Amino acid sequence: MFLVHTLHGIRCLRMDTVAFSSWNGKVVDNRTGKTAGKVAVDLPVPEGKAAAMMGWNGLVVKDSKADIPSLTFNYLKEARKISCGECSVCMIGIDRLLDIMDRMARGQGKKADLSEMREIVRQVAANSKCSFGQSALFPVLDAVKYYKADFLALIGGAKKLAGGAYGVEVTAPCMDACPAGLDIPGYIELIRNNRFDQSLNLIRRDCVLPGVIGRTCTHPCEDACVRRDMDESLAIRLLKRAAADVDLAQGGAPFGTPLREKDAKVAIIGAGPAGLAAACQLRLKGYGVTIFESLPHAGGMAAVGIPDYRLPADILSHEIDLIKRMGVQIKLNTKIEKLNAKALKKDGYSAVFVAVGAHEGNKIGVEGEDAGYEGFVDGVRFLRDMNLGVKIEPAGKVMIVGGGNVALDCARSCARLGFKKVEIIYRRSRAEMPASDEEIEGAKEEGISIRFLAVPVKIIAKDGKVVGAECIKMKLGKPDESGRRRPVPVKGSEFTVKTDMIIAAIGQRPELPALDKKVGTTSWGTVQVDPKTLATDVEGVFAGGDCVTGPATLIEALDMGNRAAEGIEAYLGGNAPAQRVSFKGVDLCKQRGRGLVIQNPAADVAFLDPKKRVENFEEVEGGFNAAAAMREAQRCLRCYRVVVWEQA
Amino acid sequence: MLTIVINGKKVKAQEGSTVLENIQKLKIDIPTLCYHKELSPFGACRLCSVEVKANGKWQIATSCNTPVAEGMEIRTDSDAAKESRRAAAELLYYKYPETGAVRDVARKLGVEVDPKEAEGHDCILCGLCVRTCGEVVGVSALTFQDRGRGRDVNEPEIIFDPNACIGCGSCAYVCPTGFVKMETDGDRRIIWGKVFKMVPCPVCGRYFAPEDQLKYISRTTGVPLGTLTTCVDCR
Repeated sequence: MFLVHTLHGIRCLRMDTVAFSSWNGKVVDNRTGKTAGKVAVDLPVPEGKAAAMMGWNGLVVKDSKADIPSLTFNYLKEARKISCGECSVCMIGIDRLLDIMDRMARGQGKKADLSEMREIVRQVAANSKCSFGQSALFPVLDAVKYYKADFLALIGGAKKLAGGAYGVEVTAPCMDACPAGLDIPGYIELIRNNRFDQSLNLIRRDCVLPGVIGRTCTHPCEDACVRRDMDESLAIRLLKRAAADVDLAQGGAPFGTPLREKDAKVAIIGAGPAGLAAACQLRLKGYGVTIFESLPHAGGMAAVGIPDYRLPADILSHEIDLIKRMGVQIKLNTKIEKLNAKALKKDGYSAVFVAVGAHEGNKIGVEGEDAGYEGFVDGVRFLRDMNLGVKIEPAGKVMIVGGGNVALDCARSCARLGFKKVEIIYRRSRAEMPASDEEIEGAKEEGISIRFLAVPVKIIAKDGKVVGAECIKMKLGKPDESGRRRPVPVKGSEFTVKTDMIIAAIGQRPELPALDKKVGTTSWGTVQVDPKTLATDVEGVFAGGDCVTGPATLIEALDMGNRAAEGIEAYLGGNAPAQRVSFKGVDLCKQRGRGLVIQNPAADVAFLDPKKRVENFEEVEGGFNAAAAMREAQRCLRCYRVVVWEQA
Repeated sequence: MLTIVINGKKVKAQEGSTVLENIQKLKIDIPTLCYHKELSPFGACRLCSVEVKANGKWQIATSCNTPVAEGMEIRTDSDAAKESRRAAAELLYYKYPETGAVRDVARKLGVEVDPKEAEGHDCILCGLCVRTCGEVVGVSALTFQDRGRGRDVNEPEIIFDPNACIGCGSCAYVCPTGFVKMETDGDRRIIWGKVFKMVPCPVCGRYFAPEDQLKYISRTTGVPLGTLTTCVDCR
């Protein structure tokens, strides 16, 4: 038995010696004592010991004294809550199993009940409509088969169903992959059933910027989708966007209002996704919230890091407006140079959340980058200037250094600004490129070229102005700590490229306000926090978003905002943060029964013509209308996974 | 046209048709509760299950929402298929023992049904009303209330939106169990608890349609309301 620490600071107990396991349908039975051995089963069980657990994929018993019939009964009760009732067999089957067990517990059971239970499980698994019904009841079959004596003892009256303390967790492959843990099968199901308003409410519980995330998310959920290996992942991001778009077309429903106002006020530094999420969640809990933002617009990277053709400004401003309408104050053009928690306390703020992001471009290490040449700029600065309306004169040729989404955003923006030639130069090959596939494809369609396995080493300038770059070819060596193959310069392969402008887009770091010396920072220039509460080393000061993680995604920042709100609430004497169970290392896609899945790839949306779209900054990707969204939502297999465990 | 195999017999099937449509063409009787040929299939009642061969393995699949594919092999009469349909009917009968439509289907599929008369009219969540309202009428006044993590729904049910309903009564017409009740009495119609004003035909004087429905038809078709307020027989 060993402990694993996860990002969220939740300890997972892995069972490595078990009395019994039927996980994945592989039966290990050590109860006779003859084959005492170990079995590696990665199972998520939060802090404390679990005597036994039952999940969608099997029964695992650690303590041979564990009460399996009671565990089964409690598992069925939890499964009943997730069974949707849309197909007849699953919900009614569970009802009937619960009735049978209830009868046993009242001393009215009979031996034939066990074979009836087995038969119900088989029929429900074979004939259920969704993945939940097809998989959820197998562990009940195992329990009845391998713990028959315990069930017979219940029937015979020698045993009773115990209350006991049971833990429950519900997840799905997509939900687990989402940094913010959105209830994805839930909101998809609501879209399928034409309840867009309810769907949006469910999304907003964990994602306060649905229209923004529905356009810009890197969607790890889609990579985890079970359908990915069958035909195509669900278009989850676009479904979220549809929920937001349908709502916006109807005028935009407001957020809820707090049930009860609280006296405490919280200051938030930075109106990016992390700051906005924390503000919204804290406001819903009744706290007063003021956000201090250094820029003239709220939204952080969503406002100044993402160009309009990916995220139209009015979508972001609408969603920020809704947050303001809840009573969140946003003070723009207010830069906090020095953070003084005591002074803020005097102003009535009981806690501070630092979410200043990472808006400083990293140095690329080329000769001449500090010389202040005209025509040399870092990527985030370029995008910020552009989004804030600074006039950018298109030069003839621009070279963008880097292979991430910022580099792609710069390149595709340059194409729209009227640069004659746009070229990306990236030191590794296409396979290692971190930018998302849709961005790279979009750039290619717009006539942007990518030079792989090369890097600039010196900026060539004339009269203080960039005229070219000396570059060197690279080859791929051994993998580095990121797992990607390290690029190595090829001796003697230097070459010169003419260019009028160079944009360096190889990552960002935070520009932190002067913090109390006690606040720990890393060598990356990021703030150190408690992973569970997001508290810094200084009392009452919390931090999250890119200034803690380094440059990450919007959804990761939103998640940290949500968690900071929980951490701050706990600090201010409210509820403790909800415990999250990590399913790391558990294959959530695997299930023992699977119905017939008809090949049916995801629905397409319309894109603007590549030739026309480079003439302006209009949104490139179209969304689903309500009818198309409802059709796409029907593809969801609804892979909810329920796990119930008996606390030892 | 595609060729499929049903119970060992090769038959031609229209591309895009469903397995159930082809089974019905062969006059094989498979009772259903959630299927209607004018509506999109939904796969709720699970009574139309058959066996379909996929990747060399026979699998249970609901025939109403399984489209045919070239060479697809289908068995309706295997023990597994018959048992699957019987088990679905048995579960429905277990949950709704008093409901006539369920009793009839269960009896037909070999479930032992209490011979005593029963007068239940339960909602069995077949979704026919929801689909009719959305797909045929086009107003979507009825929706499923689904469950999921932390959504705290005790018993799923059909949700009625009185603001969207036009009182046309299509849901009552398609409901297989008589759960959806519509009462029309002179100038009033009551459905899902909402009271509608009926319009009398100026020619024959018969109260023939709810005012909200005529307004809706006028709005969506562009036909002036004045034309619609005369009943079809007198127009």
